[in-house]
Amino acid sequence: MEFAQDVINGILAGGILAVAALGFSLVWGIMNIINLAHGAFIMLGAYCAYELFTRFHIDPFISVPIAFVFLFALGYLIQRFVINYVVRAPVLTTFLLTFGLSLLIVNVALLIWTGDTRGVSPSYVGANFSIGPLTVSWAKLWTLIVALAITGIMALWLGRSRMGRAIRATAIDVGAAQLAGVRVAHVYAVTFGLGTGLAGAAGALLSLSYGINPTMGDPFLIKSFVVCVLGGLGSVQGALIGGLAYGIVEGIAPLIDFTVFGQHFSGSGLQNVIALVVLLVVLIVRPTGIMGRATA
Amino acid sequence: MISLAGITGSRPALIAVMVMMVALLGIPAVHNGYVEIVFRNILMYAALAYGWNLLGGYAGYVSFGQVAFFGIGTYCSALLNTHGITNIGAGIALAIVVNALVAIVLGIPILRLRGHYFGIATLGLSLAIQDLVANIDALGGTGGLALKQVDDAHFFVYYYAMWAVAAACLLGTWLVARSKLGYAFVAIRENEDAAVVLGVSPTRYKVIAWAIAGAMAGAAGAVYAPANGFIDPAGAFEVDNNVFPIVMSLLGGIGTVAGPFVGALLLAGVNEVLQRFFVKIHTLFFGAMIVLVVMFLPRGIVALIGMRGGWRGFRRSLGAYRV
Repeated sequence: MEFAQDVINGILAGGILAVAALGFSLVWGIMNIINLAHGAFIMLGAYCAYELFTRFHIDPFISVPIAFVFLFALGYLIQRFVINYVVRAPVLTTFLLTFGLSLLIVNVALLIWTGDTRGVSPSYVGANFSIGPLTVSWAKLWTLIVALAITGIMALWLGRSRMGRAIRATAIDVGAAQLAGVRVAHVYAVTFGLGTGLAGAAGALLSLSYGINPTMGDPFLIKSFVVCVLGGLGSVQGALIGGLAYGIVEGIAPLIDFTVFGQHFSGSGLQNVIALVVLLVVLIVRPTGIMGRATA
Repeated sequence: MISLAGITGSRPALIAVMVMMVALLGIPAVHNGYVEIVFRNILMYAALAYGWNLLGGYAGYVSFGQVAFFGIGTYCSALLNTHGITNIGAGIALAIVVNALVAIVLGIPILRLRGHYFGIATLGLSLAIQDLVANIDALGGTGGLALKQVDDAHFFVYYYAMWAVAAACLLGTWLVARSKLGYAFVAIRENEDAAVVLGVSPTRYKVIAWAIAGAMAGAAGAVYAPANGFIDPAGAFEVDNNVFPIVMSLLGGIGTVAGPFVGALLLAGVNEVLQRFFVKIHTLFFGAMIVLVVMFLPRGIVALIGMRGGWRGFRRSLGAYRV
């Protein structure tokens, strides 16, 4: 039963991972940029929810779209006025650039909010219901539902809208898209904006269940990457399946418990080790991810 | 693209760096205490940057896990130290052996990955090793280990040990860059598939590059631990030690022999000033520095020396990668 409970908690947490990883996957798949500042944008989303809640008593679920819009604008500007200048350089260049951006954003956040861990606690945060012996938190269930809704909307928008088609066309062939009248600089900026916007939405959702501090995004950067690799790069379904699968892996991780040479290890203290092992195993056994394509 | 004839980088810069390195031998004679510690840190960062540069600059494999090897190095020498062996040379030797072994064992799965995949895997690696160390009681867990230090009158031995490590890294990089090994690394960086066709076995050379890079970082860690007197997982795997070597190599010029030292000297100096006067913003400053260097000086300060066409040449080089 403990196992079933851990699996359920894992699935509930997996929704947020899917949203965070979707933003990461779009930027990666379409522009070949690994956005190392992704965790920093997630953190900014969480602070959006925090500020709106403490100043204006706005519920974190209402803050999700607000955080999305705010971070979309920020991401659009960053891509348009910084990253676009070097986007065609070798991969190392944008890799280091976003690394620098991440340091910059995290340290500005440290100046504004200090390193203290804060939290958002609306009245319903502790409420839960039971199905037989299993307990489900209402807040986490709604988080999962909102996360599923966001990925659904993204899938529809990318598939049907004019802009969505332009984005996909640019991913396939920049030159051909340009000839067909796509403004690449704008499309890139919108894509990066979507990536950061989704990070912001994920951050706002996280504010309900995680402590908020300027470095909270770091583990989510690694997790986003693992989820992308796990699900397969560049597809909405991939991010969703990968997110839920990784959520379950993390959910059951605390059950790991072993002793080597008299030294006791338990899964709850080894989150990063688990992420690395999953990443390496997937890359070696199935480099295309669960759902499809990836380029290693 | 680069000309293969010049993979050591600009010769005047190289000679200047070697002269400066020798001059740094005199620091403890001029001043012991604060200045000595500042320069010891500069030498430590230079060693870390040389390690990063060999793998990232020469072989083109950008690692975000250099600090993992530094951390392993600190714990190697700390373990010897707490068990009664305080000889720094023994600590360095153990760190080099352990790190080379770790690099070979972990390199076989991790070095199969390319580009972004490799970068993230190494970032994961440094976090994973920190997690592991924090969970092992014999290494002091999160509480850390206290080391036995030499008495104050002999404190300069740590400075000279660090100098020897940094000088060995500089010399080692120069020798590697001039040898067949260096050309193999550059071949892998420029086009790994073409390198295979030309008869370079990428796996073998990548593992060698990583093992040397790890040994360099580990040796620096092995001196840092007793010099600092105390280590814990947070300090041994300090994020700054991951970030600084990358920024220093970038600023000085990646894939050159002089670059990492020039970068270390400049940045560690600037950092020292910033930390004294603006404690809170020094990492923010580094973030901004990376962004600006990537945008305006993608080939580093050393490359500026060889740039043709003055201001116009510089302006023209900026728009090259724009959409």
